[in-house]
Amino acid sequence: MIDIGLLVSMAIMVTVPTLFVRPWPLTAVPAGVLDTALGALVIGLAVGRLSAVAFDDAGSLTNLGDLMIIRSGVEFWPGALAGLAWLTHRAHRDGVSPTVRIAALVPAGLTAWSCFEATCLLRGGCPGPVSTIGIRPDGLQTSMFPVGLGVAVAAAASAFALDRSHRRGLQSLYVVILAVLGMAAIRSVASIWLPHIGSGVTRQHATSIAVLIASSVALIVLSGRRVRATSAAEVE
Amino acid sequence: MEPTTATVSTAPSGPRARTKLIAVAVLALLVVYAVTRPSNETPFEASGTPRPLPIAGKLTAMSADAFEGVLVGLRGKAVIVNIWASWCSPCRTETPLLERTWKAHGSDVVILGVGSKDVPSNLLAFMREFGVSYPNVFDSSGEIRARLGLRGFPTTYVFGADGILRTTIVGGLTEQRLGAVLEDLQA
Repeated sequence: MIDIGLLVSMAIMVTVPTLFVRPWPLTAVPAGVLDTALGALVIGLAVGRLSAVAFDDAGSLTNLGDLMIIRSGVEFWPGALAGLAWLTHRAHRDGVSPTVRIAALVPAGLTAWSCFEATCLLRGGCPGPVSTIGIRPDGLQTSMFPVGLGVAVAAAASAFALDRSHRRGLQSLYVVILAVLGMAAIRSVASIWLPHIGSGVTRQHATSIAVLIASSVALIVLSGRRVRATSAAEVE
Repeated sequence: MEPTTATVSTAPSGPRARTKLIAVAVLALLVVYAVTRPSNETPFEASGTPRPLPIAGKLTAMSADAFEGVLVGLRGKAVIVNIWASWCSPCRTETPLLERTWKAHGSDVVILGVGSKDVPSNLLAFMREFGVSYPNVFDSSGEIRARLGLRGFPTTYVFGADGILRTTIVGGLTEQRLGAVLEDLQA
């Protein structure tokens, strides 16, 4: 059974950044956004799906049919990590700095994520908490705040801000770390409002908080090193 | 080393602009189709003599009339009917969610599984594998799924406390979707 909503979401997610986002610097992505990032998307989906099956139903790991049904769930962070690993590998092979290439793809990646979240309207995946300000999901009688649309706006704003900062001289490593930190922060906050069963923190929420902490630590360490290096240069 | 300059062309060339226009048109058509495609709603309202809910954790063979009787007997409580089979992949993902829902909200919302298009031994093995403790019926003749207008496995039917079918979810449930349904039922 084909999920039309998911299919359209994925078409929009791939097409919009490919056609409308210009990577910077262009020299880091000579083959274009689609050719450079398609492998990462496919690997990310595969690893994300494998991880979801491993966490939820390890017995299905040997069943190719079960693994192929991505609408049953894809684990976000393992998929994102695998995509980054793939981009790093390909950048090394092409003789390009992996950090520069990934930073050049950050706006396209965040735009793709924003598009996917915005199209939650087509997949019935928007519902958040019950709210008078919101939309009434198909078949439900109460209106709910569309958390997915909020995530889409935040992701698009992050893409815009990081692209502008990068073009104005922010180093690629900072762009990459800030992108990861931004995604983790958005997902951590959004997860608070996503409907879930029972009490407690969901696995997806816990993972996002862990990534948020790790990327914050990375940013602090990197900034500390930069301050020390600047101080040492001034002393010399 | 960080690049400091880059030559970026901002004016799209003719063919590129045309490609963008075509892509936007195709995407717009896809969105219109996705938004306006027929709803999954099936007009269904249970009728008949009220019957007791089958024993939780067991698989009880049942006719479609008896099944409708169970739904009539459950009026006053919200009911989530889930049609599943042991060979259905998304069923493996959503069954643990339904089990958690039954454990967390079983006093307010009844989960009623309907094993269909399958053999009892496989259904029972599936229930054991996932530790299913909510009531389940076996649709031996396929009448129950026909009466509900099933279009694909799995499908979940959500009935309000008034017995009216509120929504039909075709395909696997996600935690967010099921959580939204629960919030709606309890609002």
